[in-house]
Amino acid sequence: MSETKPAPKTVADGNTVHGVVAEFSDVDSLLAACERVRDAGYTKADAFTPFPVHGIDKALGIKPTVLPWIALTAGAIGTCTALTMQIWMNGIDYQYIISGKPYISLPAFIPVSFELTILFASFGTFFGMWALNGLPRFSNPMFTSPRFDRATDDTFFLFLDAKDKRFDEAGAKVLLGDLGGEFVEPVVEDDSPKKIPSFLLIGLALVIAFSMIPALLVARMRVTKSSSPRFHVFPDMDFSPAKDAQQISTLFADGRAMRPDVPGTVNRGELDWDVDFQTGIDMEKLAQIDAPRARQLVAMMQSDTEIGEGDGEVAGEESPAEEAVEEVTEEPQTEEPAAEEPMADEPATEEPAADEPAAEEPAADEPEAEMQEEPESVKEESASEEPTAEETATEEPASEEPAAEAPAEEMAAEEAPAEETPAETAPEEAATPAEAEPPTEKPAAPASLAPASGPTVDTTPWLTENPLTVDAEVLARGQQQFNIYCSVCHGMNGRGNGLVNQRAQQILATTWTPPSSLHDQTLYQDAYPDGKLFSTISNGVRKMPGYAAQIRAKDRWAIVSYVRALQASQNATLDDVPASQRKALQAKQAEVQAELEKAAAKAAADAQQSAT
Amino acid sequence: MSHHQAVAPKPADDPAFTMPALLSGLSLPLCIGGLIALVGGAFLGTTSLGGRFGMSVYLTAFMYAFTIALGSLFFVLIQHLSRAGWSVVVRRVAELMMVMVLPLAILFLPIAYSVWFGSLYSWTDAGYQAEHGVPIAVWSEKLRWLNPQWFTFRACLYLVIWGSTAWWYYSKSQRQDETGEITLTESMQARSGPAVILFSFCTAFAAFDWVMSLAPMWFSTMFGVYIFTGSVLSAHCAIALLCYVLQRQGAIRDEVTVEHYHDLGKLIFGFICFWGYIAFSQYMLIWYANIPEETHWFAARYPGFSSTFGPISIALMVLHWGLPFLGIMSRHVRRRPWAVAIWSAYILIMHFVDLYWAIMPEASLGAGGAVGVLSSLLCVIGMVALMLGLIITVGSGTRLIPVRDPRLGESLAFENI
Repeated sequence: MSETKPAPKTVADGNTVHGVVAEFSDVDSLLAACERVRDAGYTKADAFTPFPVHGIDKALGIKPTVLPWIALTAGAIGTCTALTMQIWMNGIDYQYIISGKPYISLPAFIPVSFELTILFASFGTFFGMWALNGLPRFSNPMFTSPRFDRATDDTFFLFLDAKDKRFDEAGAKVLLGDLGGEFVEPVVEDDSPKKIPSFLLIGLALVIAFSMIPALLVARMRVTKSSSPRFHVFPDMDFSPAKDAQQISTLFADGRAMRPDVPGTVNRGELDWDVDFQTGIDMEKLAQIDAPRARQLVAMMQSDTEIGEGDGEVAGEESPAEEAVEEVTEEPQTEEPAAEEPMADEPATEEPAADEPAAEEPAADEPEAEMQEEPESVKEESASEEPTAEETATEEPASEEPAAEAPAEEMAAEEAPAEETPAETAPEEAATPAEAEPPTEKPAAPASLAPASGPTVDTTPWLTENPLTVDAEVLARGQQQFNIYCSVCHGMNGRGNGLVNQRAQQILATTWTPPSSLHDQTLYQDAYPDGKLFSTISNGVRKMPGYAAQIRAKDRWAIVSYVRALQASQNATLDDVPASQRKALQAKQAEVQAELEKAAAKAAADAQQSAT
Repeated sequence: MSHHQAVAPKPADDPAFTMPALLSGLSLPLCIGGLIALVGGAFLGTTSLGGRFGMSVYLTAFMYAFTIALGSLFFVLIQHLSRAGWSVVVRRVAELMMVMVLPLAILFLPIAYSVWFGSLYSWTDAGYQAEHGVPIAVWSEKLRWLNPQWFTFRACLYLVIWGSTAWWYYSKSQRQDETGEITLTESMQARSGPAVILFSFCTAFAAFDWVMSLAPMWFSTMFGVYIFTGSVLSAHCAIALLCYVLQRQGAIRDEVTVEHYHDLGKLIFGFICFWGYIAFSQYMLIWYANIPEETHWFAARYPGFSSTFGPISIALMVLHWGLPFLGIMSRHVRRRPWAVAIWSAYILIMHFVDLYWAIMPEASLGAGGAVGVLSSLLCVIGMVALMLGLIITVGSGTRLIPVRDPRLGESLAFENI
């Protein structure tokens, strides 16, 4: 049991005696002997048996082991380690929501805690047993006893340790002999060399040396630079079949690595049905005075989204015309093949699509036919006629007053009203309806979005108020965006003399149309409503391109607010300045005034001088 | 293994092997009083809180007694299967509890009746499908398993298998008391393997049928094991407690020793952990997956969702697992028979709470107020008294240990260390 070096009590043949061992042939005689040895007062005795013997601890007077406490402590440490580790990792250091559970969710931590409890308790028990038994050791003096091998076979041994206070070799021999022990012998020091064999030491040194190599390599890599390609430990992570946008992929039948949107779905964050916000037009009012145009605008915004995300084919598949038919018939079949669609609509006369109800026909065809004849005069008529036709067809209350959202799909069937105004601008926008509506001959551009030119009187009900709540933040954003996108032509101050204009004037560019000064009276709020300004930024005017593709709607509105601020800055009175800053401003004004007067006086004096 | 001092068993007709007189005298009052309390409790629940509540109360009491009887049957089977020597002196007590499967088969009749004519199981409600919005296709498939005919047939099958197994093992053991034939032990050992397999299937499916189908749309494959763990745990506790009571009354004093309590205590400790393991595994899988079909069962028992059963859920965790886990962990506790007996009694109470928690929420009335609690307690106390009365009656006609079992000497001399 114990490991400390025994104090030599007796020396026989020059060898230290570690104790006396006796042999017993059966369990009962061994147990009887154990009890006698215990009763004789020996505390350092041990028995060796081929199998576990119940009750031998008691017979030898061995105290209960402390191993259970080691196991319990180790297990408790395991539990705490696991819980601390998981709470720290997932709850504090690297917060990560897993399966919608809280960062620190105890039930999820229990399995790991359970496992670590078992692991630590097992290790604690195993290595605790080692420690209590003084393991590992290379040799035990018992092995020098030539008969001891049979302890693993069929013989029982009782050993009296020389470390015991009561030990005396002769007395112990007599005691064991009296108890019926056979072959009572002293256990002597193992006389085999104590030196560890050199091949073991060399082997150990080699293993340690080799195990250092990876660590040294890593350490070297950490501090040096290399031009050779990196070493791929996990090549599947470095050479994944992932593709960039627009690349060709063999994975899909259509060869595109970039997947189009699933028909009938909207990308996350792209559902924006606030048409007023997107167009700058009060769509409800527009629907009342010019329903077809309102529908066209809404439908165009839709196809806009589709074109922006996928390609023409996808947009064609879901062209508004087809959806209109389905809306009316109330048959939710959206997956009509694209090829069928132009055929159904191309004649645009009396050839309805297969599932198109008769009631829809006049609504779909009539305005278009009339429009092509005399667009101007029919405008009012078709606008008033349209809702009633739909009402009968769909019987939806929403169609009665065509709110911005409701008639979105239906209106595509009547693309014609869009043609009333000649398209001058926005070439990219023009592509949208053209693809969705093949029969259109004229460029079906949303020309009405840029109504600054053209013969018609602008009756569009522009939004007169900026839908954003204008505050310092919005203004700052507007200024930033203005300085990035607008100032190159319009100039930082909006006077229309940006760098591009300066250069154009310099080289006398013949095709150059000078940008407007934003401080022109016609561009003020009363003459040029916020919505119209927004529309101009979005869709462009004359030579100015539309910026809808570059600037988000919210930022365009911010630019509108900033332009208004720029305009106000040129017409501000002292009352617009905060009271705290008026004084400084007045002082500066006086200073400038004085300078001017001085200069004027000087000039006058010079003039007088020269005159005389 | 063996001890140097061979222990000779007492003669077979030693008075230490007979039922103590005090207990024998109690058998009739216990039977009658228990039956009255059982019927009274169920009647009280039925009249004041409706048929479903009353029958749920009865089912709880029934399952309480039945799980202990089944656990005892399992104990006996597993001793034969493992050819255990240590347990011989406590095996007769387990056998006495095991044969309670037979009277309990009769006590199952009210449950079978309620499947046909009563309202215990909500799947017998004609309007269940419409009320809970279950798709008709799903519900019709469900009803192929849950219908009165098939349910009754299965229940009969389980009861026949358990009853015949229990009776066969009991009668063989009784015969060995007279003849001491070793071949009886051999045949009991030979049949224990198949018997354990049959037992396992019956227990799992009975748990599904009798308890889990209270919530017909809920499913947990672990539920059978869950009931089984509680069953085996409570059976070991009941064996330890009954042995302790018998010893206090003067019977089998020299036969059942500290060593046997120590072993029973170890098994109790193990099954406490096993119960906690299974209960938590069932909960965690459902909690983690978070699928509505599965979570609704726990939602009805969740703190914050149910004011009655939520606290019981927490209490089960702490009192059915945590406290006894720490309490009976130490060897010093397990080697004190009185401590083992106290913990056994405690766990037997917790086993009732466990079954109450599993069954009563499906009656949808919470605890049912003071009347509901009273009827629940009356029922279970009545059932326990009735079972005790019957056990004493059966035990009075036999010996309290298998006096001629070939391993009796080994068991008497058994030592743990």
